Amino acid sequence: MSSHSSKRRKISPENDDTSENPTRPMSMTRSANEAGNGLPGKQQSMKSKNGSRSSSNGVSAEVAFTGGLYKSSFFKLQMDELLTDLRPNYEKQGSRAHEILHKLKEIIENLAEKPPQSIVEAEKELQSAHGVAVPFPNPRPSKDAKYLLAYSKPANVNVVGSFALRTGVRDADCSTIDLAVTMPDSLFQEKDYVNYRYFYKRAYYVACIAAGIREAKDLDHQVKFEQQDGDSLRPVIVLEPTKDHGSSMRVRIITAIDNTVFPISRTLPMKNNIRQGALVADAGEDSSTATMFYNAALRSDASVAQYHKVLYLATTKCTSFRDACILGRTWLRQRGFGSSFHQGGFGGFEWAIMMALLFEGGGPNGKPVLLPSYSSYQLFKAMVQFITAKDFTKPLTFFNSEAVLPHGQPILYDGKRGLNLLYKMTLSSYTVLRHEAGVTLRMLNESRDDNFERVFILKVDEPLLRFDRVISIRLPLNGDTLQSVHHQTSVHKVLLRALGDRVKLVSISGQCIQPWSVGKRYVVNKESNVINVGLIVHSENSMRVVDHGPLAEEKEETASFRSFWGDKSELRRFKDGSILESLVWSDGPSAPSIIYQIVTYVLHRHFNLAEEDMVFVGDEYDEKLRLVGDGTFSYSDPSFQQISNAFHSLERSFHNMEDIPLTIKQLLPASPLLRYAALQTSSSSGSRRDPMDIVLQFESSGRWPDDLSAIQMTKVAFLVKIGEFMETSGAAVSTQVGVENDGTTILNTAFLDILHTSGLAFRLRIHHDREQTLLERELKGKSNSSRSKGDLAYALSTYKRIFVQAPRLTQAIRNLCTRFPLLSPTMRLVKHWFNCHLLTAHFSEEVIELLTVRTFTQPYPWEAPSSVMAGFFRTLHFISRWDWQEEPAIVNLGGGLDQSTVDVIKNKFSAWRCVDPAMNTVALFAASDLDIDGVTWTQYGMPPKVVAARLSSLAKAAMKLLKAERSGLDLEELFDTSMAPYDFVIRLNPTVLRSRSSSSTKFKNLTGLSKESYRPSTIIVSFVQELQSCFGNSVLLFQGDEQSTHIAGLWNPQMANPKPWSLKVSYSTIPRSYIDPTNQDKDTVSINRGAILNEIARLGENLIQSIDVRSQDSEDK
Amino acid sequence: MKKESPEIAGFSILPLQLPGTPVLPEPATHYLYLRPHEPRVPDLDSVRSLFVVNIPIDTTEAHLRHLFGTQLSAGRVERVEFEDAPTGKAHSAPAIAAQGNLVKSKKRKRVTADELQSQLDEVRLPASWDRQLQKSGARAIVVFVDKPSMEASLKAARKVGKKGKSTIVWGEGIEDRVPSLGLARYVAHDRLRYPSRAELLLAVNDYMVVFDQVAEARKREEARKAQEPDEDGFITVTSGPKLNSAAREDEMRELVERQKKKSQGLEDFYRFQSREKRKEKQNELLRRFDEDKKRLEDMKRRRGKIRLE
Repeated sequence: MSSHSSKRRKISPENDDTSENPTRPMSMTRSANEAGNGLPGKQQSMKSKNGSRSSSNGVSAEVAFTGGLYKSSFFKLQMDELLTDLRPNYEKQGSRAHEILHKLKEIIENLAEKPPQSIVEAEKELQSAHGVAVPFPNPRPSKDAKYLLAYSKPANVNVVGSFALRTGVRDADCSTIDLAVTMPDSLFQEKDYVNYRYFYKRAYYVACIAAGIREAKDLDHQVKFEQQDGDSLRPVIVLEPTKDHGSSMRVRIITAIDNTVFPISRTLPMKNNIRQGALVADAGEDSSTATMFYNAALRSDASVAQYHKVLYLATTKCTSFRDACILGRTWLRQRGFGSSFHQGGFGGFEWAIMMALLFEGGGPNGKPVLLPSYSSYQLFKAMVQFITAKDFTKPLTFFNSEAVLPHGQPILYDGKRGLNLLYKMTLSSYTVLRHEAGVTLRMLNESRDDNFERVFILKVDEPLLRFDRVISIRLPLNGDTLQSVHHQTSVHKVLLRALGDRVKLVSISGQCIQPWSVGKRYVVNKESNVINVGLIVHSENSMRVVDHGPLAEEKEETASFRSFWGDKSELRRFKDGSILESLVWSDGPSAPSIIYQIVTYVLHRHFNLAEEDMVFVGDEYDEKLRLVGDGTFSYSDPSFQQISNAFHSLERSFHNMEDIPLTIKQLLPASPLLRYAALQTSSSSGSRRDPMDIVLQFESSGRWPDDLSAIQMTKVAFLVKIGEFMETSGAAVSTQVGVENDGTTILNTAFLDILHTSGLAFRLRIHHDREQTLLERELKGKSNSSRSKGDLAYALSTYKRIFVQAPRLTQAIRNLCTRFPLLSPTMRLVKHWFNCHLLTAHFSEEVIELLTVRTFTQPYPWEAPSSVMAGFFRTLHFISRWDWQEEPAIVNLGGGLDQSTVDVIKNKFSAWRCVDPAMNTVALFAASDLDIDGVTWTQYGMPPKVVAARLSSLAKAAMKLLKAERSGLDLEELFDTSMAPYDFVIRLNPTVLRSRSSSSTKFKNLTGLSKESYRPSTIIVSFVQELQSCFGNSVLLFQGDEQSTHIAGLWNPQMANPKPWSLKVSYSTIPRSYIDPTNQDKDTVSINRGAILNEIARLGENLIQSIDVRSQDSEDK
Repeated sequence: MKKESPEIAGFSILPLQLPGTPVLPEPATHYLYLRPHEPRVPDLDSVRSLFVVNIPIDTTEAHLRHLFGTQLSAGRVERVEFEDAPTGKAHSAPAIAAQGNLVKSKKRKRVTADELQSQLDEVRLPASWDRQLQKSGARAIVVFVDKPSMEASLKAARKVGKKGKSTIVWGEGIEDRVPSLGLARYVAHDRLRYPSRAELLLAVNDYMVVFDQVAEARKREEARKAQEPDEDGFITVTSGPKLNSAAREDEMRELVERQKKKSQGLEDFYRFQSREKRKEKQNELLRRFDEDKKRLEDMKRRRGKIRLE
């Protein structure tokens, strides 16, 4: 009760002075609620389900209630919605289920008893008379075994589990009902717990029931065997609905025995119960003889009824227990966890039992961790917290058991029932669970965002999204769970030791065996031979070339090190004089990643696996980036460092500048190249690189003229002066003042191109903050027409973009790149993806960067990615789910994003949607804590709505492909450029694209620009820009970056139909009467595609090689 | 269709042939729409002007002159006003901030300053394009030397329109008089955007000289105005030129800010204050809750039920 009431106190101050307060009736209701404390979650949700807002009293009560017990009221509302949706409809299902269950019960109870027979006879009889193969676990019982198999009437048949307790979750395809058949004690002998004898007898029993059910004709279900929870020791019967039946119920018949048949002391985790010859060792690590998994499998059959009772009591004691079970089950399922061994061995059942146990203990001094008065959310959060905080590899016991328990693997030992609840978890799946719990806890504790979607709705177990590297290993497995446990544990151990601090997490999972027909033994197919490994990499350590082992004189450690690493280990002497065993990996440009080298080496050494037995996913994304990104990968690679150095040297020369009447405040970088975000990094790729933008700001001074165009003129004078200084001082090879934005006086009109001595070119613009004030004042003035208002607004936003936001973004991303080493490569690969889909011309690079940054700074429901692959896919994942029409993208760029900023941004977003509901100027809205305006990079149709929709659908297609192919995904498919959807394709002249200036060296003086030498990229950019400004209304152009040789075009679908003629028609048209003289609609016009293409062709003379028009469009003409 | 001269919403239609290119050898037909210019506020020129809609993107004054003067051989064009081209007046407005306020009172004296102003607007940096492009479907006003030329041109255009198929090839015969398009245009742009230092400095110096003159002239006018009674016989008292109004704005803002901070100090002093605060909080909570509810409804409407992925 304690923590509950303390929560209450937080919201209770209102009670103090309600006497003279008009809100009194409300608080009355609240105290009424308090009286019946621990309000049933059900009642709560009923209220919201009915949507009854009948009285303000009820609302206030709910407000108060949510104030303390839930994360936020919105969180609670969503949770209630989700719960109503997830709760199975027991009334509807009930009658049908009862019918089947009754029938089954009757069948099972009336089965004929079978006298004891020898194993061979029993098996033969079942096979020949009933066509049922007894599903004996491996190894099969020996033929000369002395004990006999028999069948007699079950002690009882009961419905157990989530259906009976109503703790289940509605499943889209099929819900499972567990029917427990308790085998009579008389079948077993005292010693049956050793050497699989119990499991053999059980298998026979199950086979007998299966035979009986199969012969009962009036069931519409298919009878199959399945491994219970992926445990090959315990096959069970499943009744799957036949397809035409339409029922979605699946009945699982599990077996149970009375808990007194075998004493708990015989099945303690550390006991060894498999005592015959050469067998696979069990999972026991500390003691090689302990058969933990075997013991627990046996014990869990013995505790079916007991646990059912425990759960039943919990549901009666705590009203929100059921909802908390649903939440937990959902949370686990979204993370790929389930009760089955192959799904990590921690599912809804384990969650429910653990929660029930925590009502009774688990805390310090055995005090309970949970209270029955908790709300479902509190229960959920406390559970997550418990899993995060408690390390189960130091065994946790309930009910003061004296049992000796090993360390080093997850154990939650229930002394009363004698079962280690986590027996199906391997160390690796436990690490994954704890990792997920930790991430979720952080999500729940975050105050900025309610994270509801990320906790419950998102499916986060997609391996390529979740892990940085994914490896599938083919091992000779036979479907035997004990063997799988052994293999998985040893692979995990080897990889963990080999990779050390290079990885944060190693996840190992196997494939489960599909239900099989009762007439056969189960088949081990190829998929089940595979072990899947997922790695979460530690980005700082993963690239380390040399691993240090123990000192040469430490004999014992050295020996173990050598035996682990074999020939790879070599003695080396280091600078500090120490002599260490060490490992040296190759980091050459053509070498595969170091993780790959290590993994293949150790797997070969310890499991004798050849490279063909492994599929390694993850490195090819790095390769791809190197291939398309001029061989540059990291931000610390020489090409980026060279750029940074050039900038710093230029900065120094600026500060040494003389003869300039104003003092320099700062020189700021403002180009993607200067923030490690440009895909192309070197000029060696052919074309001379475009100059990098930098911004110079002077200390404020009163000597500037107070007029916009005069400011521009003054800037020109400064630029000329700076250029002269740079040349004479030798900091620059050459400089050149250029003009831009012809004919306007309110935009920046001049820049200075500086060719630095390093051969890199910079483009300098002068930032004068007075411009902003002048523009704003002008904008406020009443005398202007709306047209010039638009111009002014454009000028203002351009000013902010170039002079304020671009440097700010550059600075922020530079910082982030050093914090997240994988940010730079990820941004660049995402840009390449945009290129490949010809979207580049419609997006500012900065938007792409922002969306990628989001993956790193707001990584939930994962953690910040440590590989290009994960970063790339998570960015696409976000884009695919981004409902950009209805919500803004809010990026934590500078680390200062808080709730109030988010609120401001959301307000701005809705304001934009009010002003421009058709999304003509603003489609995407991407804000950050450093740029709350959110439209800096997306205003004025960057991108237009149609293109934004295309981006969404492309990202969705990529995600769909990812889900379908999983780790078999071919990355070339993602980057494949398709020309199919476009109406026409303009092929550019390759001779123009090939730089004609390539003959001139890097250091050639820029002033030597002759007619023959030009930058092809600028030419193409200018051309496309002009096309867009001329035909922006009628044609959408798609282009990759400057390297791409195609421009694809799409006729604006809005212009497809004839329109009545008016002055507003802003594209070239044909009068309808000219095409079709009989047309009565005289005053309508349609788009003149032929003329437009002709104009494009003439504008691009010598630039264009050909224009391919899709045939159906030419027919229109 | 042949008997009536083709018209659309009162505009005559003039088909033109756009010449083919190596890439698309087939010539295309383009349609001009023209009509006598009838602006809402007619001026002297409007009676001899044609309003032309849907001009090709590469239209220049030379093209239209050639079209009406030579190809239709009907009338001489005096000048062409393009839709997007900056006219002197439109752009002087943002350039001088104070102008709007001055318009009313001193018509006579403004002349000198305005003259200088327009002179100032003439001073530009060298252009980086050798030729402007028009937007697709743009309009232009073609001013002829006299009204008969305009009428003759319209008639000639109608005649061509009646024939249906056009024989007039756009820009034929003036290829050497206008800068060429295509690669040459962009190479030229790449060159023109870097004017020589001397050219730039010349423009800057010219500008600065005139700019100073304008400032001078305005100051003089201001001073004169201060002594002159308006039509009601009052003399407006002004406090001199507001040169540093920006600095003052900042100062004022700071002052307001400081004032605010001062008044904030005593918020929890009285009991009723804290009570009201609490009440406010409660209401806020209620409001939030309602908002959230609405948000959820909204979300459900948009995406359907909350579903697991």
